[in-house]
Amino acid sequence: MPTVSLVCEGFERQAAATGRGLGFDGLPLAVLRGHVDAQSYDEMITSFIDHTVDQVIAGLTAAIPETVSDTGEPAALDVVTRGTIDEIHRTFVTRGWSDGLAIIPPTRARVESFIAVSGYDPWRVLGAARPSGRDLTIWSIAVNAVMAGCDPAQLPVLVAVAEALLDPNYGVEHSGNTTGADALMILNGPVITDLGFNHGAGALRDGAGAANTAVARWLRLFLRNVCGFTSDEHDKATFGNSSRVMLAEDEAALAEIGWEPVCAGFGLPAGTDAVTIARMNSGLIVGSVFGSTPHEILPYLADGLARVTGWDLTHVYGLGQGHYRPLLILSPVLARIFGRAGWSKHDVQRALFDQARIPAWRFEKLIGEWSNLTTGRRTLVELAGEGLVPAVFAESADPDRLVPIVTASDTIVIAVAGDPNRANAYVMSNDGPHGNWTSTRIDRSFSNDLVCRIDNRDACSAPAPPPTDE
Amino acid sequence: MYEVVWPKSPLGAQARRPATRLGDLNGKRIAFAWDYLFRGEELFPVLADELRRRYEGVDIVNYDVFGNLHGPEEHELVRGLPAALAMHRIDGVVSGNGC
Repeated sequence: MPTVSLVCEGFERQAAATGRGLGFDGLPLAVLRGHVDAQSYDEMITSFIDHTVDQVIAGLTAAIPETVSDTGEPAALDVVTRGTIDEIHRTFVTRGWSDGLAIIPPTRARVESFIAVSGYDPWRVLGAARPSGRDLTIWSIAVNAVMAGCDPAQLPVLVAVAEALLDPNYGVEHSGNTTGADALMILNGPVITDLGFNHGAGALRDGAGAANTAVARWLRLFLRNVCGFTSDEHDKATFGNSSRVMLAEDEAALAEIGWEPVCAGFGLPAGTDAVTIARMNSGLIVGSVFGSTPHEILPYLADGLARVTGWDLTHVYGLGQGHYRPLLILSPVLARIFGRAGWSKHDVQRALFDQARIPAWRFEKLIGEWSNLTTGRRTLVELAGEGLVPAVFAESADPDRLVPIVTASDTIVIAVAGDPNRANAYVMSNDGPHGNWTSTRIDRSFSNDLVCRIDNRDACSAPAPPPTDE
Repeated sequence: MYEVVWPKSPLGAQARRPATRLGDLNGKRIAFAWDYLFRGEELFPVLADELRRRYEGVDIVNYDVFGNLHGPEEHELVRGLPAALAMHRIDGVVSGNGC
């Protein structure tokens, strides 16, 4: 069926690339000049009639020229360039294949060695990467992992992340949205200790944990090279953030106070090697929390959650519906204050639901008058009347009444990590369905892929070959 | 000296030919499909008026028939869109807004 898509100026290349990723090269667009949110009504409508309407009509009526389908792109094993390490670095930056940091050159031998440790079939296609439409293969995971400086033993972690990216619940195709959220990965299970991930001091700092940092860099390179998030195509982030280092939870502290890990909130039980991923908008430190009882420290933590929450409320209702699930990271010292008092994680979530509140008028302005993200600009009372938000948002019509920032207490995600001897917390707002919380299991068993390919079961127990030098 | 491989991956999507265009909008049913963002509630009525002014026989099916295609029910609504378009005997679609 003929279609034409309305896009604001600056989104033409993203729209074209999205069409290409779906197999439709050259789908017609009609461009809205400038950005409609920054225009007066008259300015917008005049421009629309003068410039855009003709494009709409042409897109529906005029024949589309044939396009040449040969992309001229290399095959996976083709040598795309050769040179010294400096020359490789410059070439990758110039061609948009690198983030500008130093890379380990992805030679065929190094990539093969990287994969052999896990026994995966390099050509196994896990799915179609969105929005690029590129095949998401073990090989493509490994090439970018070599570049990022990952250890071959981390490959199962990367595969699990890639599987999460393929999960429609996550919505990886939104990773280039204009507000520029970036993914946070949270690691659980014995894999943390086995592979040397840092859950202590500097848990979210680049370089404090080499494994945490390398995996985060891999994700950024993978989103760039395989999913297509470069600024000339799918990445429309107005600002964006630096990569978020993979957060490993302090599982010993969790066990001590009897709390379940983050992955348990998303269907994977404690003790499972798991990665949970979500895209986070903003973050702020709740510094120097003072107090020795839950009731003393809760107001400050709740205030942090309320302060980090702004336009993201459109994921309570608007772009999402009950998808706003902010994150509170407690240092082990703070988590133990709750644990010593016999509070479960659910108790803390309920208390935060009650205390992390904002005036109703502010909520309504954030999703309506100020950001124009909810059509009709209905009040919370009206939304509750239609069953679109819970009744707790409409206990009165007083605009100064305090309302929650989430639809239910268990939507607040709580993690425990960081310096074990410091009393600080970190809060982050999430981007709702544009990177929805998603957990996947990490399978660290040796894969039978290659054994199946060569029909030699004895190879199951064969030691993995060491990485080779070029 | 290093010889390196490509960090991207082949395009897996099969290239498909876009549908034949309509030639003339007279006598056609055109649907609006909206993501409920970026002032579509102001733009689409103007577009409907402009299309009707230029093509007397065009029939417009408004966006509210298909729901918020970028909202809480996005996946469900997009999955059901082909059936909804067929049910309403739609000939062409204007979608928006990507901003």
